[in-house]
Amino acid sequence: MTGVGRLGRVWGLVAEHAAGRGGQVSAADACAAVVPGVQVTGAWLSVAPDGQAGHLMQVTDEVSRQLAELQLTLGEGPLLDASAFGGPVLASDLAGAEPGARWPAFAPAACRAGAAAVFAFPLAVGAIRAGVLGLYRDRPGPLSDFQLGDALVFADTAIMLLLDAQDRAGAGAGPGEGPGGQPAGLASYRAEVDQATGMLTEQLGVSITDAFVRLRAYAYANDLQLAEVARDIVARRLRLFPDPDLSPGGRA
Amino acid sequence: MDGHLLSDTFVELTDTMVADFDIIDFLHVLTSRSAELLDVSAAGLLLADPRGELRVVAASTEAARLLELFQLQSDQGPCLDCFRSGQPVAAADLGTDQRWPRFAAAAGQAGFRAVQAVPMRLRDQVIGALNLFRATAGPFDAEAVHVGQALADVATISLLHERNMRRSDTLNEQLQAALNSRVIIEQAKGKLAERLGVDVGQAFTILRTQARNHNQRLSDLARAFVDGTQAITAPASSPRTPRPGTGPRPGPSRPRP
Repeated sequence: MTGVGRLGRVWGLVAEHAAGRGGQVSAADACAAVVPGVQVTGAWLSVAPDGQAGHLMQVTDEVSRQLAELQLTLGEGPLLDASAFGGPVLASDLAGAEPGARWPAFAPAACRAGAAAVFAFPLAVGAIRAGVLGLYRDRPGPLSDFQLGDALVFADTAIMLLLDAQDRAGAGAGPGEGPGGQPAGLASYRAEVDQATGMLTEQLGVSITDAFVRLRAYAYANDLQLAEVARDIVARRLRLFPDPDLSPGGRA
Repeated sequence: MDGHLLSDTFVELTDTMVADFDIIDFLHVLTSRSAELLDVSAAGLLLADPRGELRVVAASTEAARLLELFQLQSDQGPCLDCFRSGQPVAAADLGTDQRWPRFAAAAGQAGFRAVQAVPMRLRDQVIGALNLFRATAGPFDAEAVHVGQALADVATISLLHERNMRRSDTLNEQLQAALNSRVIIEQAKGKLAERLGVDVGQAFTILRTQARNHNQRLSDLARAFVDGTQAITAPASSPRTPRPGTGPRPGPSRPRP
């Protein structure tokens, strides 16, 4: 399956969930849709912009809530590790020796709560951190390669929706959807987009997260592809200027 | 092939794989050494993302990186064929080779006439490819392909280093972390380029130099710089970009001036 086909399919499942509850698509829909999407028992989404203290945005069941709370209480677990490590942490058998040694308090407590496997996905684009997506299964067993690929794309979708929500109060550019009504695929981002985001932190005097939000909003507002805008910024053909409404302190 | 250079390279690469090494920095060194050792103009490394795409994670030169990207975008080229088949793919003369017309044209513009791709394999899975680009036409000798394959194998091993290799999930965890590190480094390059008024290639050199001088992982420094918790000082002299692989060897055991 190509990355693009997978992206469209996952986005379709997320949008379908939002339509089912009659609301605007949000990261909470990505969290809810991932459960049947990759055949796990439950999921939770913790939002923690730029490493600030997180809050639980969505849980799909009571066990998920307990798993999220356990990690906060115990100060250990796969989601905390995923955030620190910058990559997913896939614990397909919590009763096994390795999780037991790695999380001596969390692993047995999670098993008692009803989880047999936990998969944690940091919601990150490089240094941009938006939170973490947790999945659990009540039976042990790894995600298949196909399910893992889908789970990563669900996580990518959740990041974009979180950043769009952050932008909604700002430039008014609307949700950063691509021309086809779908978010641009994260995996297809080229290095220029990342470099341009870094450059914008300096040009605009903002955090890396805000720089990325501004970059996407500019592309959307001008009906340009993200990669085109990024290439112009990196080639120094385009500069963005601080928005007076978004200057420090100006943002509610 | 220079036997000393060969053994030095493998010693350097394995020495670098100490606890907590930086995978992206490592793969960058690996592509640079591959180009030197195999006497080719440039080398690039692609890794398969479980999302279903190949990603460029390291390249010895900017021209090689762009050509790798071009292959991914146009969905044709020897590196993709190598990845899909799991077999080495060679094109001794892109000027006459008919297999990938769009790739051949782009390679010609970038100054490359011949290409050799070797797969990165783990058990029965193909996880990426190491690609060697040469400015002159002509076949790659069997020994060079052999050594290229050994270098690709070292790249595969490096991805599995830190954790328990028996866990099937390890590779995917490491791979995703490596891909995210690549993004952090690109973000830091952009920020530093803008701050110092240099190009992104120069910014990369400055980042790597500071990381090595401070004995810090490249991606840790990049993250701290992007987060604003660590400053990066401009080099005393005006920055110049040495071609990767031609400058002083940045091995950790060799102090930098």
